[in-house]
Amino acid sequence: MSDFDAIDSLLAAVGPEAELPPPHVRRELRERARLSKAQVARALGVSPSTVTAWEGGRDPAGETRTKYAYLLDGLAARFAADATPATPSTAESQAVAQAVAQAPAATDALPLRTAPEEGGGGDGDGDEVETLAAPEPCVLCGHPAGTRVAGFAQHLDPADCQATASVPDKSTAPPARPEIAPPARPEIAPASRPEIAPAGKPSPRAPRTATRPSERSKGPARRAFQEPSGPVDLIGQAVRAALTEHHGDVEAATAALLKRAIPDAMRLLDETRKGARYDIVAHPWIPDILKKQTSRGADQIWEARPKWTRHALPPGKHEVTALDINGAYLSALKTHLPLGQLEHSAGLPHDRRRAGVHLITPPEWEHEDVLPNPIGQRDEPGPLWVTEPTLRLLLRLSGPKHALCAPPEVHESYTSGATENLLEKFRIALKDARDTAIAEDDEVTLEYVKAMYSKFVSTMGESNYNRELYRPDWMHIIRSQAFSNLWLKALKAHDEGLTVVRAMGTDELHVIGDWRRVFPEGRGVTEVKVKDVYIAGTEGEGEE
Amino acid sequence: MPQRNIDFGKFGARGIKGSDAVARKLDELAGGIATPVTARRGWIARLHYLTRSAKSRQAAKEAGLTVTDRTLKAWLDGRRRPSKANLERLDAAYWTVRRQNVARHLLKRLNREGRGTRVEIHPLNQSQVPRPLQRVVEYRTMNVRRWDRIVASWAAGDYQGLDDAWTTDVLPDLGSQWGQYEYVTNVGFAA
Repeated sequence: MSDFDAIDSLLAAVGPEAELPPPHVRRELRERARLSKAQVARALGVSPSTVTAWEGGRDPAGETRTKYAYLLDGLAARFAADATPATPSTAESQAVAQAVAQAPAATDALPLRTAPEEGGGGDGDGDEVETLAAPEPCVLCGHPAGTRVAGFAQHLDPADCQATASVPDKSTAPPARPEIAPPARPEIAPASRPEIAPAGKPSPRAPRTATRPSERSKGPARRAFQEPSGPVDLIGQAVRAALTEHHGDVEAATAALLKRAIPDAMRLLDETRKGARYDIVAHPWIPDILKKQTSRGADQIWEARPKWTRHALPPGKHEVTALDINGAYLSALKTHLPLGQLEHSAGLPHDRRRAGVHLITPPEWEHEDVLPNPIGQRDEPGPLWVTEPTLRLLLRLSGPKHALCAPPEVHESYTSGATENLLEKFRIALKDARDTAIAEDDEVTLEYVKAMYSKFVSTMGESNYNRELYRPDWMHIIRSQAFSNLWLKALKAHDEGLTVVRAMGTDELHVIGDWRRVFPEGRGVTEVKVKDVYIAGTEGEGEE
Repeated sequence: MPQRNIDFGKFGARGIKGSDAVARKLDELAGGIATPVTARRGWIARLHYLTRSAKSRQAAKEAGLTVTDRTLKAWLDGRRRPSKANLERLDAAYWTVRRQNVARHLLKRLNREGRGTRVEIHPLNQSQVPRPLQRVVEYRTMNVRRWDRIVASWAAGDYQGLDDAWTTDVLPDLGSQWGQYEYVTNVGFAA
């Protein structure tokens, strides 16, 4: 390899300067090969800005020029070679390739290139077969070979190549012309390998195409559609690590994972917020209504937890199904969360771009006998502090589509600019882990994920178990969102003709009727599962 | 304007000194007896804290609870209750001793073996400033690695020292606009 260097530099010094294609073609070739400037620059030993300058009209000189010409010609030959076989190629690419091919052909002063067209004219007999003093590993099978063809050590007889069958798996890089391809490029075109292997005497073109960095190489960074850069599989890693640590003892591993669920959730949150638009404001100023009045007491926010049982069932005996909403808090992570510090306002109409807590006078609810009150079982009359999801639910129900109640009266608010996507990546990561765990029947991951999201929600306020996040407003909003989601499910059941018997807590809905046509059954977050089936009601006259 | 404010609030900006916000936050993190000293439960609890050992009695004495041992015994036995002035002294002494006792632990948690703690700085409130004089002051976060001086001056009740430590040691790390963050609405961090 070093002798190639020496020869090349000698020839470059002797001969006239290598011809280069016009600047725009240089750039076009590089981009067609999906090589970044940095990649090219690294291979040529210059800085990326130098490559920019070359593509902008400046011409390199000396040895660098020869290298650059070699690279461009190689790229042109690559595209020309791609164009001539059956591979579909655009007319444009051919034009480019020809434009480049003509440029060097005009001066035949390219000392180190054997252009593929010219090499092809040699008809295989032009291969220079060298006998090596010290055997080098064969590029095809990896075993020592005593001969070198066109710069590649290999066996002349295919029978000597011991591992022909497994050739495509071996990724021993054929060392290309040393000045172009960095030696650590493992890409070998698997398609081109079988052509060489049985022949034993490869045509000079074959190794050349094989060594070119092809489209499979890493593309430039500025593509329109990039691979989604999700968080690394933190959940899977943690589970695997815990299982290995406890030698596969599922119970011990689960216990260990549950213990570290909160810090792990915070780490996952940090991971999912990388490169995001909004920063998580973890310690804003908190208005007094969100502060606990005593250490064990509650603050003044009403979360609208439903706790409703139908007063009177329709006459007769009924089979009641208790449905359980899967992952209610997980789904509730998608909600309008205030980003920054809450700011006070009074007497303003509701702004959809903001979220927070609001002091409202709830409207009268006249459907208590069939549907729960959307603000929950509130005993005291008068204004109360509710969160964003509850207010949005009330506004929605008072709208023309439902028209179930009067609009609530908003007195004052503490709000901040809001987004629904703040925890979205976090939620998706957990949901995906949960779905995978269910599909694989992986109880450890399932428990771990459940602990992560439920503890994350319950400790994001003033909790000593999670001091990294101090957002009681978010905690209330996420909980209210879960209640609001349950309420909407009850409404859906009611609208579809089911009899809603009870809506309780975050995830409990009791209905009479054929619920399977309304809610899909399963364990996914969009599905429901049956908790219990029981008979309720008085003896109707039909049975007497 | 990399300097301290001369006449803060002249145009209606509102906020508190950053160092005061830090002291408040540290007080909050230190925790302590929440019941007010005026309630019997509150002053009894404080008294017990200050008389648990000879060392804590000494600390209370140094912190300004300069009543005789006889009085302390009478309070503890319930034969007498502290006067209004002594209730104030009791409260002040309690918080001083509490800070001193918590400081070491708090410092360890804040320094986190050199990794430091992330601090959020919420800028001052400009809602009362005339529109043409309002400036863009962003919410900023920074990592504070060395808390030693801050916690030490907080524990010693040295507000001037705390202000120096905060304003001259920490804030300049925000860059050339650090003067805009001398007064803030809130400083948030956790330990």
